[in-house]
Amino acid sequence: MSDGWAEAEAMVAEAIGDQAEAWDHNGRLPVDTLRELGTKGILCAQAPQKYGGLGLSSLDNGELTARTGARCSSLRSVLTSQGMAAWTIQRLGTAKQRGAHLGALTSGSLAGVAFSEPAAGSDLAAMTTRITPDGSEVVLDGQKTWITVAAYADLLVVFGRLGDEAGAVLVPTDAPGVRIERVAEPLGCRAAGHADVWFDGVRLPRDAVLGGTALPLGLIATTALTYGRVSVAWGCVGILRSCLAAAARHAATRQQGGTPLAAHQLVRRHLAELSVAEQAATRLCEHASRCWDARTPDLVSAAVLAKHFAATNAAAGASTAVQVLASAGSRNGHPVARAYRDAKLMEIIEGSNEVSQLMLAEHALAVWS
Amino acid sequence: MSSSTDRQLLTGEAIRSQLTEFLNRQTKREVAPDLDMFASGLVSSLFALELVVHIESTFGITIAGPDLRLDNFRTVDAMTALVLRLREESDE
Repeated sequence: MSDGWAEAEAMVAEAIGDQAEAWDHNGRLPVDTLRELGTKGILCAQAPQKYGGLGLSSLDNGELTARTGARCSSLRSVLTSQGMAAWTIQRLGTAKQRGAHLGALTSGSLAGVAFSEPAAGSDLAAMTTRITPDGSEVVLDGQKTWITVAAYADLLVVFGRLGDEAGAVLVPTDAPGVRIERVAEPLGCRAAGHADVWFDGVRLPRDAVLGGTALPLGLIATTALTYGRVSVAWGCVGILRSCLAAAARHAATRQQGGTPLAAHQLVRRHLAELSVAEQAATRLCEHASRCWDARTPDLVSAAVLAKHFAATNAAAGASTAVQVLASAGSRNGHPVARAYRDAKLMEIIEGSNEVSQLMLAEHALAVWS
Repeated sequence: MSSSTDRQLLTGEAIRSQLTEFLNRQTKREVAPDLDMFASGLVSSLFALELVVHIESTFGITIAGPDLRLDNFRTVDAMTALVLRLREESDE
């Protein structure tokens, strides 16, 4: 099915309407709208149809993600988080857990994924959140920071230590001992519901542990993050498209020195660079998604490459777009001003620029040395 | 090697040799069938997932849930046993 994203994209466009700027300004997405999109399977569109998802390929979901990100990076962040939660459940869960929880995620429940801790951002090995078996239950203790969507979520997929290894545990946000505090004023993706979360002796049934057992931290974290990286990368393609469109429109119409801005060579160079960035990022995302859909091992490094290139170019491209629009784009809610703030965060989440470069260097050494 | 072999009979020996070939190529080392890949530091977290995806696509199986536990991937022998078991289960 080609253009499997088209119908979902129309629903996203209708849901956003002209509200992206207001959502950004207020730092809130309307929860009813999120639940409605969730019920249609749009928030985790790769979830299989038998669980109520749309069963989109990574390539089609990527295009949906880019088109969502071009309009509103906060809503796009929800697609990334919900999709990553669904993928983690699909991958790490037992058949029973997949049936129970993927169904919920396509029926209006909202979910986030909790990795980062105050002292464990890029260095996941420093994670201190602990899942402790206790009879027929497990007890969860720890703190997570900057968890996207957590302020809206009904369910969190929380990574923590389990014995000598790790585990991912499903935590209803209304469970006793869970405390969620919204990050007051995030720099970017301001309506994505970033929050700090505390778990204080949270008791959960043993069956809340995905797969029911301890698993290797590196493997399960990479499994979840690889989905997240592909999704963020496509979101950055959306940012670049939004910036390119705004810059090209402005340069073609705004008069300066008796001619349109676009008649000035230095402005044309900005447009050329934005165009190259949008095209190259798109091609890298397509490659990562095709690797994903074909299940080739290259998908792991391709996801890091796409994320790193798309995020750094979105940040640079948004800066360029603000430069071209100048005062017209410097009002805080303007699409290029939002892009400028949103894109910067993309250089930090799902593996910072520096961590991405370390992984790419390791890959380069493995392949080329 | 991208051809899926899922409708063919595969012996443990064939699986073992395919896995060894992949691991030798990826790690640029001679990987003995009983070498603990994780203890020997040959496996980064990125490579662990590449290995899972390689095994899945090469042998036409899905490795999910509790089957992702470390003991199933420590050695070529352990991975071979996992592949044989999952192929048998998928035939049932």
